[in-house]
Amino acid sequence: MTAGAAPAPKPAEPLLALDSINTFYGPVQVHFDLNLTVGRGQIVCLLGGNASGKSTTMKIILGLVKPASGVVRLGGEPVSGLPTPQIVRRGVGSVPEARRLFGEMTVRENLLMGAFTRRDERAIARDLDRALGLFPKLAERLGQRAGTLSGGEQQMVAMARALMGRPKLICMDEPTMGLSPLWVDRVLDLIATINREGVTVFMVEQNASLALEIAHHAYVLQTGRIVLDGPAGDLRSDPRIRDAYLGGQDKT
Amino acid sequence: MSSWFDYTLNGIIIGNIYALLAVGLALIFGVARLINFAHGSVYVVGAYAGFVAVTQFGTPLPLTILIAVAVGALLGLVIERFGLRPLQGYAHIAPLLATIGISFVLDQIMQLTFSPDPRALPSELLQQRFQVGSGTIGALDLLIAAIGLASAGLLYAFLRYTKLGWAVRATAQDRDAAQQMGVNVDAINRTVFAIASGLGALSGLLVGMYYNYIDPAMSFQATLKGVVAQVVGGVGNVPGAIAGSLLLGLVESYGIALFGTSYRNLFAFVLLVAVLVLKPNGLFASRRQTPPEPMTGTFIAPSKPIHIPYRILVALALVAALLPAVLPDPYVLQTLTNAWLYGLAGLSLTLIAGTVGLISLGHAALLAIGGYASALLSINLGVPIGLSILSAGLIAAAIGTLLVFPSFRLRGHYLSIATLAIGEIVSLVILNWESLTRGPIGISGIPPLSIFGIELDTDRSIYWFTLATLVVLAALQFRLLGSHLGRVLRAVRDDDIAARSYGIGLNRYKALAFAVGSFAAGISGGITSHLYSYINHETFNSQLSILALTIVILGGMGNVAGAILGSVLLVGLPEVFRIAAEYRVLIYGLVLLLLIRFRPQGLLGTV
Repeated sequence: MTAGAAPAPKPAEPLLALDSINTFYGPVQVHFDLNLTVGRGQIVCLLGGNASGKSTTMKIILGLVKPASGVVRLGGEPVSGLPTPQIVRRGVGSVPEARRLFGEMTVRENLLMGAFTRRDERAIARDLDRALGLFPKLAERLGQRAGTLSGGEQQMVAMARALMGRPKLICMDEPTMGLSPLWVDRVLDLIATINREGVTVFMVEQNASLALEIAHHAYVLQTGRIVLDGPAGDLRSDPRIRDAYLGGQDKT
Repeated sequence: MSSWFDYTLNGIIIGNIYALLAVGLALIFGVARLINFAHGSVYVVGAYAGFVAVTQFGTPLPLTILIAVAVGALLGLVIERFGLRPLQGYAHIAPLLATIGISFVLDQIMQLTFSPDPRALPSELLQQRFQVGSGTIGALDLLIAAIGLASAGLLYAFLRYTKLGWAVRATAQDRDAAQQMGVNVDAINRTVFAIASGLGALSGLLVGMYYNYIDPAMSFQATLKGVVAQVVGGVGNVPGAIAGSLLLGLVESYGIALFGTSYRNLFAFVLLVAVLVLKPNGLFASRRQTPPEPMTGTFIAPSKPIHIPYRILVALALVAALLPAVLPDPYVLQTLTNAWLYGLAGLSLTLIAGTVGLISLGHAALLAIGGYASALLSINLGVPIGLSILSAGLIAAAIGTLLVFPSFRLRGHYLSIATLAIGEIVSLVILNWESLTRGPIGISGIPPLSIFGIELDTDRSIYWFTLATLVVLAALQFRLLGSHLGRVLRAVRDDDIAARSYGIGLNRYKALAFAVGSFAAGISGGITSHLYSYINHETFNSQLSILALTIVILGGMGNVAGAILGSVLLVGLPEVFRIAAEYRVLIYGLVLLLLIRFRPQGLLGTV
């Protein structure tokens, strides 16, 4: 850099960055030098087939699994190594795989559990109203045990529950899994809506074509390595997406 | 008529006391998936905390209650810290065994501090009685009922309306998801242990006041009663635990009315086994499912066993056989004889718990059956001693297997609890079946050991006889483990669903292993009865069951040589160092605790 030249503008700090993550389950390596960033306000999608390491990536971000090496940064600060509740307190919400609602508790209790880390009762009440505005169906189900809802309704509860924590980032693990086509569309619409309200979304999906419709950016993970990444619009037409799902034939 | 009122009232009061215990056990099981066997120890500590407060400082009742609850809560935190937290990620049975170790340590400390003698727990103002219809009701009855109701109400409000209470329920339902809501589940564990133990201590204080009697030995019974009430109501189900407790209190009270006091516990345990076998989710589980036990993991810690060459084993056996010629010290020989007998029990349990994965907590019952069988056969029917011991083994195998067979459908914790209850039932039947077993008097004048009419009257001959028995049975068990059958048994342990899908009839194999194992235990009990010449229903007690389990874990589960090594170390060493009996139980508890924490695979490794 020559003297006098203007310093290169520092790129905006991404909200979430995974930096050279290596993960092992016993002797089996799950991630190989995984690098990934999620910019503020974006929907970023992590695609991949079975056993590609998608869900483990989610668990790494949430601190449920610890990487052998590498750093997870949230807003520039390292969070890997922190216990899960601490990470959640720093503004990460989670919509876990298969919803994982508290089935014996009511819908209202589930939603308020989402605000567990908050102390501002009035704002919580307002957010509950807002969430019910976003998911009007839930209003009539508030007193019902969450385990009795249908799969799609449970997905809405899980998303509303994550929103109740006022997260900066929501991690969603296969939000459309096991839902009927109608519900899949509805859930994807809602994800886009949540994002428009300012929440950054990082989602793991198997259903690539649908996920790419709402995502800004996507990564394709194959047996623990990122094999492809780019703006969602570019990837939508990329034939290599399909290869990734068919188990990765040798490419020439 | 009035007596029925009194029995009902008594049942409800006792039910209230059980409920305070059972609710705590249910809460702990809910968040930690652990049956806390140290809960009875907390109850005893609560009773003694009240005793010290009242007798030393003359505290008024509300303050006494507060002290007992606070001491209990603190103790709960300690138990969580040492019994549970270090064992996260271990097999589910590990923390359960750790709490057994903790309860041994705590009970023994209480005995050493306060002596095993019972104490009176005076409760000054509560002797008043009021006339109600045809019966009377005491001020203390009302107090206990009020405390029971108040505790239940507070607990309900806590779980239902507070944020922390929600977090407790959320953690119980889905630990990972609760973490993802920002719940610090370790803190929830601590909270729950503190609440549960506070209630348990309160229960101990109240029961001490009710009977005006406390002693350190009431710990184990209290744990069992709490577990019974909880299982009857549905494991981990708080309202179910309360209902189960009241039911248990009434069943016991009416049972005493109809059959007498000595039957009280028999009813409790028969109820437990019946519920476990017929309705393992509890009587009140309409929609609630018991959390599934993991497929595998009844086994503590898989590891590679240390391989000891065949020649060395033979050499060791020869050294043991030649020992009396070199070192004819009677004290050493008697000690080692004792170790060989425990070694037989260890062989038995290491096959059942280690190789097949059925962690039995009532193993002493098999020794008791063997001991009584051989004693009664030789005394009543004049069967020659050698034959009577052999028959003792067969009878133990037959009765033991029959008793435990219905429980084979249970797994993990549930099976362990069933074996514990079956062990207690055997002991209670021995106590109550006076026409056969002479009841509490026990059997005296059991003829000394002899074989083919030759009396074994020297320490040396007895030593050789027990050693030979041990070597023969150990060699057979080695052969068994190396055979196809041995592989099948390990497959049943490691993954019963996979084993089943390969066409293995699980129950038959479990029964076979149990029978083979029970045979060795019966032989051990049979020989013991002839050596002692006197046995009663307490000769083979629950401490022996836990000692046997500690021996087996020390040696390495499933490891034949390990069972013998464990027995020599745990039975022989305290003797060599002449450690007083009251400290031995303390040592056993500590050894169990440390082993599970630091070397769960045992000294020689699991097979």
